Amino acid sequence: MTMTQEPAALIGKDLSDDLAAASLALARKFHAGATLWVVSPQWEPHAHHVAVEFVHPVIMGKRALPSVALVDPDPVAQARVATRPGDVIIAVASAADPRVVDLMRRAPAWGAQTIWIGFGARPAAGSADHVLWVESDDPMVPATGRFVLMYHLLWELTHVCFEHPGLLTMADDGGRDCTDEVCVTCSDEGRLGEVVMAPESEVSPALVRTATGEEAVDVTLVGPVEPGDLLLVHAGAALTRLDDVTGAAS
Amino acid sequence: MTDLNQNTDFLYPFIEGTEHDPDSLLLDLASSARGKAEVSARLQQASLEEYEDRLRAAGAEMADRFARGGRLYTFGNGGSSTDAATLASLFCRPVRGRAVPAWSLAADQAVVTALGNDVGFELIFSRQVIAHSRPVDMAIALSTSGNSEDLIRALTEARRRGLLTIGFAGHEGGAMSTSDDVDYCFTVHSQSIHRIQESHARLGYRLWSVVQEETQRRTTALLAAGRSDPGGNR
Repeated sequence: MTMTQEPAALIGKDLSDDLAAASLALARKFHAGATLWVVSPQWEPHAHHVAVEFVHPVIMGKRALPSVALVDPDPVAQARVATRPGDVIIAVASAADPRVVDLMRRAPAWGAQTIWIGFGARPAAGSADHVLWVESDDPMVPATGRFVLMYHLLWELTHVCFEHPGLLTMADDGGRDCTDEVCVTCSDEGRLGEVVMAPESEVSPALVRTATGEEAVDVTLVGPVEPGDLLLVHAGAALTRLDDVTGAAS
Repeated sequence: MTDLNQNTDFLYPFIEGTEHDPDSLLLDLASSARGKAEVSARLQQASLEEYEDRLRAAGAEMADRFARGGRLYTFGNGGSSTDAATLASLFCRPVRGRAVPAWSLAADQAVVTALGNDVGFELIFSRQVIAHSRPVDMAIALSTSGNSEDLIRALTEARRRGLLTIGFAGHEGGAMSTSDDVDYCFTVHSQSIHRIQESHARLGYRLWSVVQEETQRRTTALLAAGRSDPGGNR
């Protein structure tokens, strides 16, 4: 073990900028009434730690904020029913965790912002509103306190933002990078929707959940749909179906 | 003469509701994040250096106990209970190395609420120590104050039953640091609960690493003895 070296920086410049942006966005969402949902399918204790951090602050006088760890075997199903428009979902998970990949791509249809904490290979650009990533491939990272530091800082900075009320009410357009011509968050081409109920007949609409609630959507352009299918919705009609595996437009 | 009612908001740019440009706040937040991370890194390094010898000694004793069939119980309250769970997972489901039996005594909500309701919160862990433990086992308690009554009671019970007892504390160490019932106490010298917990995680990881090294050393010796004694039946 090397004992004499200067400790390496745990939070670099880019990550500190990401933390700052995520904290302000989270504070704004809390200010507007959000609940913070936390998932960590691989490392469940981290989900509980994030939740208790916000619910029961270690510093006297700080606000208790609504945050709940979702630790059911199926985090997507649990988050789907828990989440209301305006909420925030934090995942502490590797970029390869298929449950979290699925959760993150569906969140915009539920009207939820997303923060993704992890290490190793980064998630694809645009996978979450805020990506807080430990730049290390060491598989032991989740047990060394790096994630604990990350969400401690997120909590500390979020509470700093509460001391700036003038900055809490501004609109927040999220942080997803637009890499595709069809950007689901920017809504140029359509809004993301998740099928709740398939059409009762070939001529009837499907019931679709979007960031603004449930609506009837004409799905004749995209063909038969099943509950859970992701669609791009524009002017009451589904324009295209999103591929189930990659999230890319089909 | 200056107007006594002049606007003095410029002296306090952050305390009122008319602030609209987030850029300077974002710069402050980012700078604060880096500063706190640096404090955490230094504290972790200082804690590792202070306790390296004791961590090696504790890890060697733990490896010996695991080799004799010992089990590890970890426990804490709040965030520290989750850090205790992460530590238990590190021992029983490591990404690399040998898995050994370990679990968090806060993990079972039925047990914790039954004990909390029926016999009192201060006994939620000690009653489980009574139920589960044998003298070859080990107990690790994490408390940023070092004073949590439920942890102290459990460590005392564990010591009475012959377990190896290890405490991770903070601030000035509290009751944990002066108790005769704690074989090894690792006090992280900080007043910040967050920074203490981050160092607890790093020290716990180091302790696990020592146990892995010791276990590997034992395994290597065992296999070498087996090779020199091909008729031996192990």
